Amino acid sequence: MAFLDNSGDIILDAVLTDTGRFRLAKGDGSFKIAKFALGDDEIDYTQYDKNNASGSAYYDLTIMQTPVLEAFTNNASSMISKLVTMSRNNLMYLPIIKLNEESPNNQTTGIVAGFGSNFFYVAVDQNTENEVANGTWTSGVISGQTLTQPVCVLLEQGLDTMEIPPNVALDVDLVEDQYILEMDNRFGKPAKKDGKISIASPSFIDDDNIASYYFSLAQTPGYVTNEWPTKVQGTETQNINAARIRGPRGTQFYFRIASSIDLATSTYLFEKLGGTTSLDFGGGGGAQTYYFIDSNVRVIGGTTGFTLDIPFRYIKLQPS
Amino acid sequence: MATVFKNLTNNDITTTRTLLHEAIPITGSILSGTYNNNSTLALGSETNIKTYSHGMFESIYDYPYLSSSANHIFDMTMGYGTGSALSSSSNTQNTKKINLYQQLAQVLVGFTTGSSDIRPFDENGDLTEGTKIKECFFLNFSRLLGKDEIKKGSFSLELGVQAPWSSAADGGTVFNTRIKITDASGSTGYKVNSPVGEYGILYATGTVNQGVADVPVLWTGSAEIVEGQKVAVGLLYYQTGIAVLSGSVFNSNQGTIAGVMSTSPGILDDILCSSSFLGSNFGGPDAARPTQGSGFNAITQSSIDTISDALRNRIYNISFNNTTELNSTIYFCRANHNDFNFSANPTYLSSSKIRVKNVSTDAPVSYVTSVGLYSPDNELLAVAKLSEPLKKSPETELTLRVRLDY
Repeated sequence: MAFLDNSGDIILDAVLTDTGRFRLAKGDGSFKIAKFALGDDEIDYTQYDKNNASGSAYYDLTIMQTPVLEAFTNNASSMISKLVTMSRNNLMYLPIIKLNEESPNNQTTGIVAGFGSNFFYVAVDQNTENEVANGTWTSGVISGQTLTQPVCVLLEQGLDTMEIPPNVALDVDLVEDQYILEMDNRFGKPAKKDGKISIASPSFIDDDNIASYYFSLAQTPGYVTNEWPTKVQGTETQNINAARIRGPRGTQFYFRIASSIDLATSTYLFEKLGGTTSLDFGGGGGAQTYYFIDSNVRVIGGTTGFTLDIPFRYIKLQPS
Repeated sequence: MATVFKNLTNNDITTTRTLLHEAIPITGSILSGTYNNNSTLALGSETNIKTYSHGMFESIYDYPYLSSSANHIFDMTMGYGTGSALSSSSNTQNTKKINLYQQLAQVLVGFTTGSSDIRPFDENGDLTEGTKIKECFFLNFSRLLGKDEIKKGSFSLELGVQAPWSSAADGGTVFNTRIKITDASGSTGYKVNSPVGEYGILYATGTVNQGVADVPVLWTGSAEIVEGQKVAVGLLYYQTGIAVLSGSVFNSNQGTIAGVMSTSPGILDDILCSSSFLGSNFGGPDAARPTQGSGFNAITQSSIDTISDALRNRIYNISFNNTTELNSTIYFCRANHNDFNFSANPTYLSSSKIRVKNVSTDAPVSYVTSVGLYSPDNELLAVAKLSEPLKKSPETELTLRVRLDY
């Protein structure tokens, strides 16, 4: 997309997204605009120079000169960072969502020797799971077919600051009680962290096969919790240290990924969207060749709008 | 409570209808000359002219039609009704010429009340009486040009009537004498008794005379048209984008050519309709085509494509304004002083601390670059981008007017 002409009056360049056109074409009344949000995707707030010696008029000079791109029609590409309405203006801190890799069950492969690249792997079929299980089950690998392994993704929400101790309660209006998870529906679905196979149902799937799931403290307690574990690694002290949110805490969001039937039973999507790689999970048989697809899962705070993309690599053992 | 959405109420949404006009100029050089490979291609073989094996019309493009860049601009054809004196089973493509007339008359004029008889085109729009247009050219403009309708009162077609005929593409003088055909009264008066919407009467006036001293002299019946007068020569259907041009524009006011045949009187002075005037395709009487008179009478022994080519080469220019009905919904996105002052942008925070503040009592600041319109289930249905960032703080309120066109 080109930049918009900003030499004259402020103009608004409005387009329907592909999902908007899709719903309009369906003609079933699903095209109904009911709310709006404001976004600031292009803005880099690190350019805000609040100490500029020339005065406050110069604080945002660079930001105000930011060129703005034309509107994207892909619904998943726009409005990634939104403006937020808060009930008060005297806030100095805002909560974030952060990936916790402290426990082996929540680690990405990036901190596992020999696996580099901070992925969560998803073993998509039984053969792949068996190959991984030949050694010690590797942290960061989700058993996408059987969901028998405890590896899951843990996201924490709160104030990630050392300046406020973690035992101070997070203000109620800053607690995130709803998470939206967006992922490619062709690859899998989110599942609960516990041993039982419980797979979530999408709220809707858009024209690009991106499925949206809603999880909330009240409706889906298996995924969202505000009861932080009293003992992660044995003692209360360790618990506080184990949390990646360093200040006041809001909620936690756990999930795993159950692989889709397409990935489990076919190599079509791997050949079309991915490639092959060699991995050694320590089973004694040496490195094996795996098909892989790299993709992201996006988690959005339903209340605060904070967005986090988590990289996943779906792997499938290539038959020898 | 934090939130990123704001609901739109009925007071925030309104609908409007706007008529958008575009000027459409079609120069004669596109229709004849530009794409004849320096006159090496014969009439009708130009690269922007598409003909068909059925021979019922030809299509004109603005660029060689085999190119994907070419746009179809209009079609040309002609025909005569069953009541025309020109109709004869010995004519070339006689059935097709009748069928074309009947087809378009059926669509554009309709049927006689209570019967299946197709009404002929009427010169002044009074279907019950008056002069009927029994022989005509049809110019069918593509929807790309005509859009929703041709703007009333904006149509203009200029035809070269210089004698003798010589191709303008070869430096000839065909356009030195011209007549201009317009829907002059269309903006104030038009007819609504067609089954396909509104139509106006096309009138001809003389415009340029660099040829014969006393031409163009136009006639209506036995009366000479004096300056300021005009003569009805066709109909323009605004919504369907079809111009019906009477064959009389190329006929002699005498209605007879050197005793060859008697036809309906035309609008041109007889002197313009000498055997050498309209060129080979509109022809004069000659041994090879003994039944041809001047002008439109040539249709009897020429194919539709041939006559279309002849007319096309006499078009000096065509211009009109089209109209697009733009239905819009306007969403007034109102950000009050206490709305949207914070951001979820990753760069907004440093260790959860707001970058744009020094102390908590500082006013928060955010910058708007986009507006997203959402469904009740939070799907992004439309997005609007601002041309530059807009500062939002508790000291400001914004109303962003987002217009979606359908």
